[in-house]
Amino acid sequence: MQQNNIAIKVNGLSKNFDISESGKGFSGKLKALFHRKRKIITAVDGIDFEIKRGEFVGYVGENGAGKSTTIKMLTGILVPTSGSAEVNGIIPFKERKKNAAKIGVVFGQRTQLWWDLPVRESFDLLRVIFRVSQSDFNSQMKKLDQVLDLNSLMSMPVRKLSLGQRMRCDIAASLVHNPPVLFLDEPTIGLDVLAKESIRNFLAEINREEGTTIILTTHDMNDIEHLCKRLIILEDGKIVYDGETELLKQKFVHEKVLEVEFHDDGNVIQGIPGVTVIREQGCKKWLTFDNDNYGIGEVIGTIASRYKIKDISVNEPSVESIIRNIYNNRVTLAMPSEKSPTK
Amino acid sequence: MNPKLFLKFVSVSFQKQVTYRFDCFVGIVNGFLYVFIFTSLWKALYSQFDTTVHNGYTLTAIVTYAVMVMAVRISFTMDDSIIYRKVMDGSIAMELVRPTSFFFMNLAENVGNSLFHMMARTAPIVIISIFLFDISIPFEVIRFLLFIVSCVAGYILVSMMNFIVGLFAFWFIEIFPFLLFKYAFYTFFSGGIVPIDFFPEFLKPLVKLLPFQYMLYFPTTILIGRASLAEAQSIITAQLIWIVIMGVICSFMWGAGKKKLIIQGG
Repeated sequence: MQQNNIAIKVNGLSKNFDISESGKGFSGKLKALFHRKRKIITAVDGIDFEIKRGEFVGYVGENGAGKSTTIKMLTGILVPTSGSAEVNGIIPFKERKKNAAKIGVVFGQRTQLWWDLPVRESFDLLRVIFRVSQSDFNSQMKKLDQVLDLNSLMSMPVRKLSLGQRMRCDIAASLVHNPPVLFLDEPTIGLDVLAKESIRNFLAEINREEGTTIILTTHDMNDIEHLCKRLIILEDGKIVYDGETELLKQKFVHEKVLEVEFHDDGNVIQGIPGVTVIREQGCKKWLTFDNDNYGIGEVIGTIASRYKIKDISVNEPSVESIIRNIYNNRVTLAMPSEKSPTK
Repeated sequence: MNPKLFLKFVSVSFQKQVTYRFDCFVGIVNGFLYVFIFTSLWKALYSQFDTTVHNGYTLTAIVTYAVMVMAVRISFTMDDSIIYRKVMDGSIAMELVRPTSFFFMNLAENVGNSLFHMMARTAPIVIISIFLFDISIPFEVIRFLLFIVSCVAGYILVSMMNFIVGLFAFWFIEIFPFLLFKYAFYTFFSGGIVPIDFFPEFLKPLVKLLPFQYMLYFPTTILIGRASLAEAQSIITAQLIWIVIMGVICSFMWGAGKKKLIIQGG
């Protein structure tokens, strides 16, 4: 019974890639003919997590952090080097086909539609592939059409669709068989604001209405903030954060960002207690300060008294800035206890 | 695998071929040129000797073989770099997230491809050849049916061979050399150019150990009447045994290859 509540379970999952390198230039290539350097790259390095049914989880990390590799293992495309994974109680890389029948997958950079066929025929093929009965198919398509507005696209060949149109079709295609678990690997890549918005609304809706478990990989932190209650952050193949998105924000609320525009760009900001410069651009500088130990008035006062200020604003940290900091190693994800309580 | 789905994919692949009409026209010319060259060569060769039968073939028999083996070979046309391209551009990922067998989807794609070549190339080439050359085929319904069965078996063997070589793409970045090597083995040892009966003695034991002769040579000998009906049955049995052997190799390679697969780009 307890088991039924869990959609995805991952234990010590790892994937190594064996890459052979050839050297630079002609001589390097010549040497590579006889002797290849083999290099093992660990894309995913012993990760553990559990996702309950109905959760909407953001899975983020820099390029090459191992997000897509994880998704590809959970969808049965890649075989892990070690560790275990279960999706809907099925081991994806042992029973790829069985697993595939119960998941939906969207890879933003690829399409699962048939390039030369009209959209309608692609959907019809998917219906047969996933063994969906005609009546189930019709009602599902009607539902998808209402939100994703597919009818106008149905007779177009896939290669003639715009990126936004294609993405709408691809998302619909992943849901033809109404899967309990949906994997989305950068579904909003390259889309304009409106298209992103409509796809976001749709995803929120199926998560709410159908209880579909969704794992979303994206570089767009707006997606995460709007959709994902839970966030898993990956770095160099390891999980560095797994918890509520809100909690991540709260954890970092003790750091605030000041955006200050000075009159001239020659100022060197130093010697103000608790303040560090994180970015500079001409006369503009971004400063962070420790919100717990220093009052905001105190900090602004000190800056204003020493330098000539044109404009100043205080920014709450966005999830994006927090994650950027994590990527830049400016912030190590400290446990809350590390926050020094007294001063 | 669901036969309805299989047929659907055969038809998708067939339709895709239809879009390349110019290719088809070139294909007819090219195929006919081959037939013309081989038949001319045989005629020239046979005219050099006083005896009229060589290795059991009269001139008519060898010309018939040359035309028919070419007809079978053209019908068996399939894209052997398809798996390689899917691995290179990463589109294999999209196929693996479907609850379908990769092998059978691949076979369906090949069948669609081949059906097109059969209709658009083999048929006109055979019809032209019947008028131009002295061809003799025994007319027996049972023989023709056995020929069809043997062709289907031969086709499955060719498809498996291409599948196995295609899977090399899971291990190697470039598989073109393997494809060339395969092409040479396939066209020669299958009897695609010269019937096995004309092979030098020292090669014959080797040929017997290889599956290639079951792809083109034996089906053709059934059609042109070189194999008796009883022999035809044992040929088909041997083909089925080879299908099992190659099937085991395919599934072994697939199992090992999956662990090596790297998806490029995202």
